[in-house]
Amino acid sequence: MTCSDVERVLPELLDGASDGAFLPDFDAHVKSCPVCSDLVSDLKLIASEARQLAATEEPAPRVWVRIAAELRAEGLVFDSAISDSATREPESAPARPLLVPVPGSPRWRWTALWLAPVAAAVLAAGAYVISYKKVVPQVAQQAPTPQVTSPPPVIPAATPPSVPATAPQQVAKEPANPTGVNGAVPAVEAAAEPAPSAEDRQFLSVVSTLGPSTRATYENQLNAVNADIRETQAYVNRNPGDADARQHLMDAYQQKALLYQIALDRIQ
Amino acid sequence: MASFRKASVRQAGIQQTSMNNTAAVTLVLVTCLASAAFAESKKEYRFTVGPNAIISVDTQYGAISVKSGSGDQVIVTATLKSDSVEVDQQQSGSRIEIASHLLQGANEQTGRVDYEVLIPPDATLNLHSSIGPLSVEQLHGDLTLEGTDAVVNISNVENCHVVVRTMRGPITLAGVRNGHVEIATISGDIHLKSVTGPLVLASSGRGKIFYDGDFGAGGDYKFTTHTGDIEALAPADVSAEFRVHSVLGRVHTDFPLLPHHSRYSMKAGSSFVGTAGKAESAVVLRSFSGRIRLKQR
Amino acid sequence: MAAGKGDLTDPKQGITEAEAIEQAKQGHEAAFEVLYHLHKRRVYSLCLRMVTNPAQAEDLAQEAFLQLFRKISTFRGESAFSTWLHRMTVNVVLMQLRKKGLPVVSLEETLEAEDEAPRKEFGTKDLKLTGSIDRLQLQRAIDRLPPGYRTVFVLHDVEGFEHNEIAQMVGCSIGNSKSQLHKARLKLREYLKFMRAEKAKTG
Repeated sequence: MTCSDVERVLPELLDGASDGAFLPDFDAHVKSCPVCSDLVSDLKLIASEARQLAATEEPAPRVWVRIAAELRAEGLVFDSAISDSATREPESAPARPLLVPVPGSPRWRWTALWLAPVAAAVLAAGAYVISYKKVVPQVAQQAPTPQVTSPPPVIPAATPPSVPATAPQQVAKEPANPTGVNGAVPAVEAAAEPAPSAEDRQFLSVVSTLGPSTRATYENQLNAVNADIRETQAYVNRNPGDADARQHLMDAYQQKALLYQIALDRIQ
Repeated sequence: MASFRKASVRQAGIQQTSMNNTAAVTLVLVTCLASAAFAESKKEYRFTVGPNAIISVDTQYGAISVKSGSGDQVIVTATLKSDSVEVDQQQSGSRIEIASHLLQGANEQTGRVDYEVLIPPDATLNLHSSIGPLSVEQLHGDLTLEGTDAVVNISNVENCHVVVRTMRGPITLAGVRNGHVEIATISGDIHLKSVTGPLVLASSGRGKIFYDGDFGAGGDYKFTTHTGDIEALAPADVSAEFRVHSVLGRVHTDFPLLPHHSRYSMKAGSSFVGTAGKAESAVVLRSFSGRIRLKQR
Repeated sequence: MAAGKGDLTDPKQGITEAEAIEQAKQGHEAAFEVLYHLHKRRVYSLCLRMVTNPAQAEDLAQEAFLQLFRKISTFRGESAFSTWLHRMTVNVVLMQLRKKGLPVVSLEETLEAEDEAPRKEFGTKDLKLTGSIDRLQLQRAIDRLPPGYRTVFVLHDVEGFEHNEIAQMVGCSIGNSKSQLHKARLKLREYLKFMRAEKAKTG
C-alpha cells in the first residue's frame, strides 16, 4: 500500500466503516511511514477532541425569557408558578398569576387541550340526556349538577388530560336537561335555542386560529350537528318511548364529539 | 399552484391584445416568475424496519398515497411544493414518523407536501391530512386514516383493523376482506364495495351510505345516518338478518324477508325486520330521517 | 449518535426529566423551564458551532426549543428526549442555512475560493499535533471551516451523528458525507498546525 492508497481509504477506515479487507496492509504501511502515521494519529485526535466540544457553550439568560414569553403568548402554558429561585435567571420575566387559559394577549387562544375533555363532556351530556326511566329516580335525587351514571363512549383519540372540574358541570348545565317525572324528558327549551353554548363559542374561537375559511367550515359543520341534536331532542321530547330515537340523539352527540375531536387533531 | 397558474394567465390576458411576440414574451416571463416563486422539490427517505412496523405520515396540506412495498424497507417520496414547508422525519426502531412542518407564511398551496409511501404490507399505518386525498392499497396491517376534507380511498386490504374519520371528506372502501372496519364522518358520503368482515360500522351524520356487497363472513354490519340516505345492494342469495329502521324517513326492500321479532316498534314504511337465507350475518340499517333502500342486484 | 442523558435528578429542581416532560405536557411553565436548563448548553453549542454567530445561535436555539415545546404532547418516550431535541435542533439549523442560501454540504471537490488554509509546504518542520489540542484553537479552527465542511464535521465529530443520518438530514449521499468529513479534518489539521506554529513564533 502507498501513501496515496492510505489517503484514499482513510475516510472509510477512520470511522470503522470498512469491512477491514485491506486493514493489514494499511496497518503495515502506517507503522512504517512516519508521514502517514502522523496523519492518522492527528485526524483521530481531532475527531476525539471535537467530541469534547459538545455542550460547552451557554446561551444568554435572555433566550429563556423570550421562550417563556412566546409560550405564554401561544397559550401553551397553563400556569407560571414561580420556579425555584436557584434556577431562575436574573433577567427572567416576573411570574404571572395562575391563568387558565391565558386571556388578553394579542394571540390568545383557547388551548386545544381543552377540547378533549369538552368532547368527552359533550358525550357525557348526551348519555345523561337519554338515560332511560330506570335511572330517573336516582338522577332526580342527585345534586343539581348530576354526573352521568354510565360511562360515555370512548373517543378514539389521544388520551385527554385531566378534566378540569368545571367542564363536565358546565356541559351538564346545557340544554340537555335531566329527565323528569315518569321518565319523560321535559320540554327542552334549548331544543329551539339557536344561541351557541359556551363550549361551542370557545371551540369556534380555537378553530379561528386556523384561518377564516377553516373557521367557516367548522362553524357550518357545528351548526349542522347542533341542528340535528335539536331536531332529535325535540322528537324525543314528543315521543319519549321511542328507544331508537333516543339512540339517534346519542348518535348526534357522538357526531358533535367527533367534530371536536377532528378539530383537536388538527390543532395539535 | 393551480390558482397561481390562473393568476398568471389572467395577467397575461390583460396585457395581450393580440397574439404578438411581446405578449408571448410577457406570458413566458410571468410563467417563469410564477414557477420560480414556488420552488418544488422532491426528497426521498428510506428506512429499514423490523416486523410489525408502525408508520405515521402527517401532512396538513397534501396527498398521501401508500402501497405495499417489499421486504423490510419503508420508502417515502415527498414532493414539497415550496420552501415554505419542510419534512420532519424520525425513526425509533421500527416506528417511523413523517410529518410536514409548515414554516412562517405557508398557506394551503405553498405548504403542500405530497407523499408516496411504500411500506411492508403488514405494517401498521396512521395517516393524517386535512385536505388529502388519502389513498391506501394492498396492505394487511392496521390502518387509521383521518382527514378533515380529505377524500379517502382504501382498496384491496384484508385481515386488518380499518379506522377512518373525516369531517366532510367522502370515504370509499373497495375489496376489504375479513376486516374490522369503523368509519365515521360528519357529512361525507361513504361508499363500500365488496367490504366484508366480522364487524363493519359506518356512520355519517348528513352524508349518504352506499353498500354494494354480499354482507358476508357472518359479520355484524351497522350503517347509521342522521339525515343521509342509505342504499344497500346485495345479491339474491345474501345470508343475513336485516333490521332496518328510519324514524322519519321511508324504508324499502326488494328482498322477500322472513319476518323476525324486534323490540323496535314496527311501523309500516318506516321499518322492517327479517331474515334472508341462513341469516349468517347481522345487518342493521338506521337513519333518523334519511331514506333506506335494500336492493337486490 | 450521542446517547441521551436519561432521567436526571437535580436536587435544586426536585424533579426528574421524565416528570418535567409530563408536567410540561400539562402546560406547567416551570416544567418547561427545567427542560430548558437541562438541555440549553447542548442545543446552543450545536447552533453556535454550525453558524458561528452568537446572536444567530441564540435565535436558532430559541426556535428549536419552541418547536420542541409546541410538539411536546406528541413525545411518547420511545426514544430519549435529548435525542428528539437534538434532531429537532439540527433540522432548525439546517433549514436556516438553506434559507440563507448557504451551502449545507459542499458539493465541490476542490477547495472553495474563500479558503484560507495555509500551504502544505509551510516550513520543513511540520509540527505533529499528537499530544494535545488547545480547545480554543480547535473551536477557532472549526469556525474557519467553509460552511459545508463545518456542517458535516460538527454533526459527525462534535455531535455524534452517523453518516447515514447526516446524509438524510442534509440531503446528500453517504459517500459525500464521508468525503466532506475527511476534508474537514484535513483542513482543521492544517489550521491547527498553522496556529501552533504562529504561537511558537510569538512565544
